Amino acid sequence: MVLQPSERHYGDWNHGRLGPWCSPTGSPAPLSCETGCGEGSWILVCRLLFPTQVSLLSMEEDIDTRKINNSFLRDHSYATEADIISTVEFNHTGELLATGDKGGRVVIFQREQESKNQVHRRGEYNVYSTFQSHEPEFDYLKSLEIEEKINKIRWLPQQNAAYFLLSTNDKTVKLWKVSERDKRPEGYNLKDEEGRLRDPATITTLRVPVLRPMDLMVEATPRRVFANAHTYHINSISVNSDYETYMSADDLRINLWNFEITNQSFNIVDIKPANMEELTEVITAAEFHPHHCNTFVYSSSKGTIRLCDMRASALCDRHTKFFEEPEDPSNRSFFSEIISSISDVKFSHSGRYIMTRDYLTVKVWDLNMENRPIETYQVHDYLRSKLCSLYENDCIFDKFECVWNGSDSVIMTGSYNNFFRMFDRNTKRDVTLEASRENSKPRAILKPRKVCVGGKRRKDEISVDSLDFSKKILHTAWHPSENIIAVAATNNLYIFQDKVN
Amino acid sequence: MEVQKEAQRIMTLSVWKMYHSRMQRGGLRLHRSLQLSLVMRSARDLYLSAKVEAQEPEVTLPPARSPDPCLHPPREAEAAAEAAPSDGEQPSPEPMDTQEAPRAGETPARCAQRPAKVSRKRRSCSLSDGGDAALVPSKKARLEEEEEERASSDVLDRLQPPPAQAEGAFPNLARVLQRRFSGLLNCSPAAPPTAPPACEAKPACRPADNMLNVLVRAVVAF
Repeated sequence: MVLQPSERHYGDWNHGRLGPWCSPTGSPAPLSCETGCGEGSWILVCRLLFPTQVSLLSMEEDIDTRKINNSFLRDHSYATEADIISTVEFNHTGELLATGDKGGRVVIFQREQESKNQVHRRGEYNVYSTFQSHEPEFDYLKSLEIEEKINKIRWLPQQNAAYFLLSTNDKTVKLWKVSERDKRPEGYNLKDEEGRLRDPATITTLRVPVLRPMDLMVEATPRRVFANAHTYHINSISVNSDYETYMSADDLRINLWNFEITNQSFNIVDIKPANMEELTEVITAAEFHPHHCNTFVYSSSKGTIRLCDMRASALCDRHTKFFEEPEDPSNRSFFSEIISSISDVKFSHSGRYIMTRDYLTVKVWDLNMENRPIETYQVHDYLRSKLCSLYENDCIFDKFECVWNGSDSVIMTGSYNNFFRMFDRNTKRDVTLEASRENSKPRAILKPRKVCVGGKRRKDEISVDSLDFSKKILHTAWHPSENIIAVAATNNLYIFQDKVN
Repeated sequence: MEVQKEAQRIMTLSVWKMYHSRMQRGGLRLHRSLQLSLVMRSARDLYLSAKVEAQEPEVTLPPARSPDPCLHPPREAEAAAEAAPSDGEQPSPEPMDTQEAPRAGETPARCAQRPAKVSRKRRSCSLSDGGDAALVPSKKARLEEEEEERASSDVLDRLQPPPAQAEGAFPNLARVLQRRFSGLLNCSPAAPPTAPPACEAKPACRPADNMLNVLVRAVVAF
């Protein structure tokens, strides 16, 4: 499968074309390729359009898919709502990339192996497996339809030849096993090659079935289904570092599961008030500490984070640490309360920091300091004066995610107009990039974008009013060790890598 | 005045959003509904405080000139939209704080425009303005009753014999909205605001064109 033209014009990588981008002070800064932090230039590795290309690829048609792909790229997209990507996640080695969509499907991509003669093709991801993880269900008791949209996917670390992942919709978590089969037994005595039973009377000799190689087949099987434990909508799942348990969090409760046991779960957090009239906040995200299997955090709609230690008590309603930043009175506005709601919380790989995303900012917190974050990054502060319009078009409720890079030096999050932002924590520089079809020439270098906040608009800048709020990047993922990122823009998946890679 | 209109508009918008959220797949989302109710409460507070401020300079004006704040909810140009948030950025004082006793003197003028339904609830604040009686909570965080996750049968009870009970996350939502905002959204003086939440009086019949009525009836039909 090739998504790009076979002729590669590597000569086009003209360093002269790499324009400098502006440092926060506004003056051009020289490009630094030695940073290695991902702040160098980014190039598009591949772009996949759900579902059409994905279906083609999963059928493993090797033929001139290039031509077909190109024609689809030109035509209007066949996107339906079911194709909107709702979660993206690399596995622990970065070899696999899983995506879930609103239609309940999971698509897994695998990184192409490095080969000597095509060294530059390393970094491309091809479809490895596609399966329907969740189906729409109907809750008869409540007369409610349960959406099949995949809210989160989390990989388990690999312990044998098969891959395991958890995928969840609003109510049910499933453990999937993805395994390869490249041999099949042949020569059964009682069945013929098509599997039909043979007439025993015709069998005159016995033979031993042998394993013969076959075309690689990747199959996904649901190994566990963890259902009926959540009254409210599941927003997060997180695998514990003991690899034996995981947690699932909904709006008011967090449950702890053992992978082997599907008919029971422990409730470890319950913030449902006795009288629902007194409800003031809900849980918005939760995650286990990457190394300490007794520690987890959960964020709330009030902009607070609670860290809990499961050793303290069975029910972790009382937090061990409580992270909250006092509100800045000058920023107080009509919609202050809802834009302070945290939409994502992520531990750093080191386990020392947590990062939270609310509507306008990303904050980094030190676990040892509860009263304020150590770093705050403005993602799109120019929207602060547009909150009323964003409330009208429902964009103010968008839940953006945020990710760390492998070394915890760069953080990334999405924005509107298919923009996504990266912040380098060390150099304090940031960059805005765009994942768009117009810039999708393969191996094209991404040009940094800039939003003009008022006054004279420069040539390459975009004014706030011309931003497309229907094009939002909510889900991104960063390879655990390399500078490869996956960006989901509605029904398109973009994979970029650092040019120096 | 602009602020008031804007607050009204946002409240109406929030009601619409709440209604629509019942229709979407997957049912009512608790978090979304909580956020909508927060905005509604802020809009209500803003409306009240703006109204109080608007009343202040009108002490010397003849009553006839004081504009009825309860105009038909204007769906006007978004120009107002941008003005309001900046207005709203001043911390809006708690309505309780701004209702001072002396103010009660000018409210009779307003009440004349509308039958001031006598509140059966004694309240510390003297906001006896008929149209707003339903807006001021009698006890703290009454608005939170919107966030109950049970059937919305109360709505049905109030309006007509209830059909089959449909699941909804906010059972009292429509009832609360009716009580709270009927005075606001209904421009007709003939419709009295309902009693404050403390008492369980049934809302009186109201004119058919009330937007909230339309919404609530649609909910019933649903």
